[in-house]
Amino acid sequence: MSWLSRIANALRSSGVDDSLDEEITFHIESRVADLVAGGMTRDAAVTIARRQFGNRLRLREESRDVKLMPWLDSLVRDVRLGVRMLRKNGVMTTAAVLSLSLALGACVAAFSLVDALILRPLPVHQPGQLIYLTVPSGNPEAPDKDDFSDPVFVRLRDTGRGYVDLFAIRYPDRPRVTFDMASGDRETVRSQFVSGDTFDRLGVAAAAGRLLTMQDDRQPGAHPVAVLSHAFWMQRFAGDPGIVGRWFVVHDRQGDRPFEIIGVTQPDFFGAEPGHPTDVWMPYAMQDPHAFGNTGYNSLRLFGRVKDGVRLEQVQSLLQVAFTNVRREYAPGHVDPAWPPDRVERFINMPLYVRSAATGPSPLRAEFQRPLLILTAIAALVLLVAGSNVANLFLARTSAREREMSLRLSLGAGRGRLIQQVLIESALVAGAACLIGLIFAAFAAPAVVGTLTSADDPVLLDLRVDWRLLTVITGATLLMTALFGLAPAMRASSVKPMTALKVSGGRLSPRTGAARLFVAMQVAFSLIVVFVGSLLVRSFVNLSSVNPGFAASDVLLVSLEAVQRVEGDQQSAAVLQVLDRLGDLPGVAAVSAAEFNVLGRPWRNTLPVPGAARETIEATMAPVTSGYFETMKIPLVAGRTFVRRDLDAEDPTVVIVNESFAKGYFGRELAVGRLFDAGFGRARTSNEVVGVVADVRYDLHKPPAPTIYILLPVRGFQTLQVRVTAGATAIAARLREEVRVATPLLRVTSITSQESMVSGTLGRERLLALLSSLFGLVGLVLTAVGLYGTLSYAVVQRAREIGIRIALGARAIGSVRSVLTDTAVATLIGAACGLAGGLYASRFVATLLFEVAAREVWSIALPLGTLLLAASVAAAVPAWRAARVDPVITLRNE
Amino acid sequence: MALLVLTVLDRRGPLHGYAITSHIHNLSDALRVEEGSLYPSLHRMEEAGWIKARTIKTEHNRRARAYEITAVGRRKLGMEEARWRSITDAVDHVLKHA
Repeated sequence: MSWLSRIANALRSSGVDDSLDEEITFHIESRVADLVAGGMTRDAAVTIARRQFGNRLRLREESRDVKLMPWLDSLVRDVRLGVRMLRKNGVMTTAAVLSLSLALGACVAAFSLVDALILRPLPVHQPGQLIYLTVPSGNPEAPDKDDFSDPVFVRLRDTGRGYVDLFAIRYPDRPRVTFDMASGDRETVRSQFVSGDTFDRLGVAAAAGRLLTMQDDRQPGAHPVAVLSHAFWMQRFAGDPGIVGRWFVVHDRQGDRPFEIIGVTQPDFFGAEPGHPTDVWMPYAMQDPHAFGNTGYNSLRLFGRVKDGVRLEQVQSLLQVAFTNVRREYAPGHVDPAWPPDRVERFINMPLYVRSAATGPSPLRAEFQRPLLILTAIAALVLLVAGSNVANLFLARTSAREREMSLRLSLGAGRGRLIQQVLIESALVAGAACLIGLIFAAFAAPAVVGTLTSADDPVLLDLRVDWRLLTVITGATLLMTALFGLAPAMRASSVKPMTALKVSGGRLSPRTGAARLFVAMQVAFSLIVVFVGSLLVRSFVNLSSVNPGFAASDVLLVSLEAVQRVEGDQQSAAVLQVLDRLGDLPGVAAVSAAEFNVLGRPWRNTLPVPGAARETIEATMAPVTSGYFETMKIPLVAGRTFVRRDLDAEDPTVVIVNESFAKGYFGRELAVGRLFDAGFGRARTSNEVVGVVADVRYDLHKPPAPTIYILLPVRGFQTLQVRVTAGATAIAARLREEVRVATPLLRVTSITSQESMVSGTLGRERLLALLSSLFGLVGLVLTAVGLYGTLSYAVVQRAREIGIRIALGARAIGSVRSVLTDTAVATLIGAACGLAGGLYASRFVATLLFEVAAREVWSIALPLGTLLLAASVAAAVPAWRAARVDPVITLRNE
Repeated sequence: MALLVLTVLDRRGPLHGYAITSHIHNLSDALRVEEGSLYPSLHRMEEAGWIKARTIKTEHNRRARAYEITAVGRRKLGMEEARWRSITDAVDHVLKHA
């Protein structure tokens, strides 16, 4: 009989029992028949037959063990009993499963995010061989930069040949494209220009048609072909096999260019950057022609596949030499003659770093790695709190079941069986919690990704369930089972049948320190969570209350695009027509236009400070139209703001600066009316400062940046700021139509509010504050429930003792104290440990905090006070019960 | 025990448990054992694949499990027999020449 049939037998063991019985009965009856035939009376024959046969029960069990797997059989029986016992204690089981599943779900959700963003390698051939290049950003707080220019790429690629195959992937663009030629409808796609060998180097295959090759990347502008991602093909074209060979039009700065779709990538490939999948890839040769040979046009990420047997240090030293050489060659065109020599040297000798691209470079990861790991750690702590809570419940219940255990022991059950029984019950609870947690995580993780997403920067993470996630879940379940099953199992196995069966009621066996240990653990873990959570919440509150320097409410942001390419003058006129039209609308208080959104990605310019040869000032450039300061309600400090007349000037040279710039550049002297030399994207000219405005925080995390406002040069893409009169945001619906009426040259692509932009910049902080406070709350509630349970149990257990004491004249306060002391000591020890843990843990969140420090009075008092308050509330009811123990009732129960 | 059961099954063909006991019993009174212990031993041999069981009807039309020796069982029987002989020969030798 194979092991399979033995398992089958174990799962339905009654059939085996029947056939064994039948066989034995047949034997005995045959013997009886023979004996009777030999002349014996039937009764005597039965007696003899039975005696000759031996101990029927023992022999049957012996055969049974041969036919079944004894351990599996007992396992199945224990699972059945376990389910019955858990259902009997419905409320406790539900509480245990729910609290665990919440914590497990949070852990799983956090892990799936960490996996998708941080751990999972790119879905390409041997991702471990992939590298990408970075240079220091110059700002110790900012991550390294990874943008390079075409000449640098060409030089490094040629130098590295034989050691590393370098290829370039341009930063993602979001152009408007037309797939449906008949209607001419435009849509936004995520596209990237890649060097022709990119797919070969990555080892990506085609799902349809073919992918780009070097043949598609020879002549700038001569290869209008494109490859779609599988996901985009599925979602936009429903996997239409006829897609290969179709043409579409890309509308970007090069005008409207048709491209032919030549193929689709393999299903799981999304590009090289987790979180920001690419829809369309086009050849490097088709990018903006200004990029070729232009050392100032940094838009490329440089990747490479290192050849077998080549070390990263070799690659680095090889590329570093080429990098320094090429920088020395183009330095004259980039360094300011006013720069001191050591600064020029620094420019030339910029270090080049070779980084592993196994998981793909990701700014999203750089920003969210720490927060995500912190949230994972917090979720794990909450899981431990929930786990110790359940352990305590189980421990209490095992004590209550000592009588059952004793009975089983005296009937001959092995202690192993008792341990197995308890462990199986905990595994059942952990398993159920795991399933519910998984469902919870399936909703929670995408919700978190949703908070990372903003309208113009969607984040898509692949949160799939794979073996890595399953390993973590299984591991967590086993850990939980061990954590909250082991102590009660030990307790169960140490039962002494004699004493347990003899004593009736009251304390059956001395309580071990395990329960108090669990209380201390819960308090410690949840205090760490509350401590860190309160820091993050206060940091978020501080950030939210920062005055950005402008009034964000009631401002709508309207993004415009050109319908067709026209001359600059015509377009400029069109923008002015739109501004005039919208400004005249009832409900609109003021309108203006700006090159990019306030709080958007800034354009910076480094200027030497006059009179100080070694000092420079980094100014944020803000191209705006007249009316900008009025629309945004940025106060004017001195001079005047832009007027319409300034726009009409042939070559506007008037600028407005903010207070930070005025102070840094002109010192204490009056700024208005002063001239300074600078070329802002045009020829160097003398600029006149006509006004000084108040500081504005374009990034709420940082102090206001020195800013120069210049008049908006006309380009294809602009954003309008529309200040509406209070509450008139409903006008947003009309703006699209109004723009269409004002000019046929422009159209609206999106409308958002300035407020949502501002709150969007705090997404990371909001996420951290929200989730950590949620976790803190869950931890607190679980701890309170745990304390309450432990104390209530202690009161019930010691009711007899308390009853006797009171009957003998002890005062109620004494009985309360006797119940509370142990747990109070455990709580305080736990709180001390938790505080130390919290202070230690706060070091990992320090860089994420805004104007909050861990070692302040409030940082310590707030979480500690909250925790102790929760503990006191939890202790109040059991304490009251202990004080109200009625000796008559308790003693009568005996 | 295994040796006896296998020998009986080899010589007499498929038999149910009671018949096996009766045969051993008839052949030798000295080898009388607790009858029931035959069954765990039969089941172990069945598990090991030396014998196989099938359900048959007896002459009184009752269901019974009859056991039959397998090829594996025959090989085993040969080995067991040889071992038994070598042991008894060795003991005989000692008894004769001591």
